[in-house]
Amino acid sequence: MKREKIAPAPRETAVILVAFAVLWFAPAFIGEYGLQLGFRTLIYLTLAEGWNLMAGSAGLVSLGTSCFVGLGAYVAYGLLNGLDLPLPATLVACALSGAALAALVSPALFRLRGLYFTVGTLALAELLRLIMVNLSAFGGATGIFLKNDPPALPILFRYALAVAVIAALTVTLCVRTRASVILRSVRDDEDAAAQMGVRPFRVKLAAFMLASALAAMAGAVQAVKLGAIEPYGMFGLQWSIDVLTMVIIGGVGARLGPLVGALFVIALGEALADYPEAHIAIAGVILIVLIRFAPRGIVGLAAASGHTVRRRTLA
Amino acid sequence: MTAKALKACAAAIVVATTFSLASASADEIVIGASLPLSGPLAGFGSFQQWGYKRAVDEVNKAGGIEVNGKKEMVKLIIRDDKTDPNATASNTETLLSRDGAVAMLGSCTPALVNAGALVAERAKKPLVTGCDPLEAFKSVRNWKWVWDIFFDEPELANAELKAVQDWGAKTNMKLAIWHDNGPDGQVVGGKLWPEVAKSFGYEVVQNAEFPVDNTQFTSIIGEAKSKDADVVLVDAITPQAIAIRKQMAAEGYTPKVLNIEKGAEPVQFAEALGKLSDGVLVGGYWDPSFPYPGAADLSKAFESETKLSSSQHIADSYAAAQVLLDAIAAAGSTDAGKINAALAKTNKTYVVGPVKFDENHTAKLPIVALQWQGGKTVIVWPKSEKTGDFLFPLP
Amino acid sequence: MPDLGVASSSIVSGVLLGGMLALAALGLSIVLGVMRLVNLAHGDFLLVGAYAGFFFFTFTGVDPLLGLPVIALFVAALAIPVYRYLLQPLAERGAEAQMMTMFAIAIILENVFVLAFSADTRSIGVSYAALPLTLGPVTVPLVYVIGFAISLVAILAVHWLVARTAFGRDLRASAADAEAAATIGVDVNRVRMLTFALGVACAGIGGTLIGTAFQFSPSSGGAYLLNSLAIVVLGGLGNVLGTLFGGLALGALQSVGGLALGDGYRDLVGMALFLLVLAFRPEGFARGRR
Repeated sequence: MKREKIAPAPRETAVILVAFAVLWFAPAFIGEYGLQLGFRTLIYLTLAEGWNLMAGSAGLVSLGTSCFVGLGAYVAYGLLNGLDLPLPATLVACALSGAALAALVSPALFRLRGLYFTVGTLALAELLRLIMVNLSAFGGATGIFLKNDPPALPILFRYALAVAVIAALTVTLCVRTRASVILRSVRDDEDAAAQMGVRPFRVKLAAFMLASALAAMAGAVQAVKLGAIEPYGMFGLQWSIDVLTMVIIGGVGARLGPLVGALFVIALGEALADYPEAHIAIAGVILIVLIRFAPRGIVGLAAASGHTVRRRTLA
Repeated sequence: MTAKALKACAAAIVVATTFSLASASADEIVIGASLPLSGPLAGFGSFQQWGYKRAVDEVNKAGGIEVNGKKEMVKLIIRDDKTDPNATASNTETLLSRDGAVAMLGSCTPALVNAGALVAERAKKPLVTGCDPLEAFKSVRNWKWVWDIFFDEPELANAELKAVQDWGAKTNMKLAIWHDNGPDGQVVGGKLWPEVAKSFGYEVVQNAEFPVDNTQFTSIIGEAKSKDADVVLVDAITPQAIAIRKQMAAEGYTPKVLNIEKGAEPVQFAEALGKLSDGVLVGGYWDPSFPYPGAADLSKAFESETKLSSSQHIADSYAAAQVLLDAIAAAGSTDAGKINAALAKTNKTYVVGPVKFDENHTAKLPIVALQWQGGKTVIVWPKSEKTGDFLFPLP
Repeated sequence: MPDLGVASSSIVSGVLLGGMLALAALGLSIVLGVMRLVNLAHGDFLLVGAYAGFFFFTFTGVDPLLGLPVIALFVAALAIPVYRYLLQPLAERGAEAQMMTMFAIAIILENVFVLAFSADTRSIGVSYAALPLTLGPVTVPLVYVIGFAISLVAILAVHWLVARTAFGRDLRASAADAEAAATIGVDVNRVRMLTFALGVACAGIGGTLIGTAFQFSPSSGGAYLLNSLAIVVLGGLGNVLGTLFGGLALGALQSVGGLALGDGYRDLVGMALFLLVLAFRPEGFARGRR
């Protein structure tokens, strides 16, 4: 059995912080278009990191991302419109609300294993969307508008960057430390892990709560940028599906999977934008080809064809 | 490190390529539009796309628009927003930044229009739209750069009952309201219709709300039937409109007057229902028989080019694009402020009728009451413009 | 409170509707049971059946319900190459690979529908599509009764196929333990291919029924996928008669929810119920062998 080297946390943390510092100044030398693409990539990256933590490390394949994205959006608007809370505090509140909802539904959701869990998250996401559409207290299908104009793009970019960095650091903390062993044991064989003294429920809950908090923050930042939200846009399944697609393309369980996947999907979207009538079918074909020939995602493909076989994996 | 470096390089190349993708050449006037070409609103998107393209093609055939002393061609760039407001917003952003659009044309329905309009407003670029009812449009904010050409919900709410009254049709004055919970559904069905109905002397025996994508209307229909309502006012989109009419017949409920706003307007409603569509009233803001320049030809051109059935949305989008193009020509410049100022001065009759923006940046299209008869729409109100007689009661 | 006639009509309609949808759901169920695959393109194969029925009716004038066997064969024929070239090569990989491939198929199909048939909402306009059927205080759409009858016949046929034929025995063996089945000589690959074709065919004829009773457009697939999923979970994975039961139950409960809270809450009731069942009894309610 090959011994996989786990890169120590401090080095990866340093890389992330350096990237943060460099990108912080991006608004000074990247134009509007670059910042817009960068913003979207960072939001997707946040969602993908959280999803990868759940799926790659803890074995929980979720189709419920949209649930928490929407939750973050509506909570943010409630706090910004109603209490005029400053944005950083709002984001913290959104993260907490995401974690709280995850904790609330986990007793029911974690009774389900494997495929049933996935279907359960899908049902939860749809249920929440249907509830929001019916509840006129939150604007029903009309939705709500942000009272004040959102900050300018460079500032929003930096918020998205900060949230993405938090996501990356969180994942590093989970997978480049001892915690990764525990996560891996739960993913690979829950019952055996339980017999060894690991408490699978707590471990899964931790991963779920972290991923949900991150998703809620990302949803909040996106919502602030939009200026107007409604259930179809913020609770729509496209969030869940986009994130799943991204990580699968990038490589589930690979540390760089989310980043590569997010970049690829955004770039592909831009490249196909000139074919508005057929771009979806083309994207579908590309997806099929990738799944067929790159079973471990682009990261896996690159690793397999690279000279060194030092695969960086999520433990 | 090789694998990681390889990946990083590949990613960088992809990203760099995307960043540097060329936008339009310097001698073109670029106009952007984000439209729902896929997803539930794809039907609207295709009409709008046709209308926008036709207006641009006509201008280009005539040699283009003169700006800064030189005639330039207009390039229309369309992106699909998949009926997702997040996509409308990001499409609008990239059309302005990457493709250098000097002005935008709007998407359809308030959620999508708002998403794009907010981006344009913040970027201080003009955006002309149709397909967004005026009250819903005005309720968002005091627009400075966005202009809307469409109908006004209160007028729509009044039209059908006025028609019934003017034709002297006798009913038991019991009225049921069924509306979706989208923005205009809530306004027209939730607020306006109850008041209007009361003012005409009706007793509102039922007011039911359902989600926009609802498929089952059994208990709503059952309740109206049991309460013996002679008049039913419905506000729903086409798939739901078709379902409602079918399920009403299948439950054996035939009121004397049936009005289905929004959903009963396109020809696909009549095609999907056949005889069941006869007698259904719908408010329209445009019909090929209108006495405006090019009205009849527009519909014929659409049907011969696309082999599909026509809809009033081709006129609204066509006119919106023309209004924008005329404003650019009047400004003689691609400067956003000048185009915006020219838009404010718009005062001309287009295929949808006279267009002049008021202080809220809205131009109202008057409503007529249409009724389906034998697979075609007939104007039944105002009587002065009628092209047929009012079919009463519902067959 | 609605009166007795409305309430009973509503519930009976719901039950009939649920039975109709159970046929489509059955397709999802057997694919899930045998191949452990959540067919995300299920709703779109349903639409293939609906469009097929529509054009069949438009070009031949023959009632599409009479043409169901033809439509079933047509849809099944489409499924075979999908399985052979797209799913079979991924058989050894985890569930996600096949699921995502089906998702890609779903979005490709939706795009193709829009390009080929436009985004218009369509309805199969057979003459009896909107006739009521009244028995005492109960009034239900006639087409629901017809659709229910057809669905029932089809489900019983599939049940017989699965419970009493050699193919059915192979199918159950492959579902229970593919490796063991292979060692006793079952051609698991062939079984899976035929099961997939059968499942997709069920979705297709379910789609034709839906196209006759309701309406459809390129983007309506997703809603039917969710609906089918709910029925499958209620009835138990891979359990044929259980799926019928799940459909009836869901239909009845949705109607009750609609009566009590308003029609707008039908879907919500369905989803909430779905989650409850998942949480407390994920294997569904029906017992007995597949």
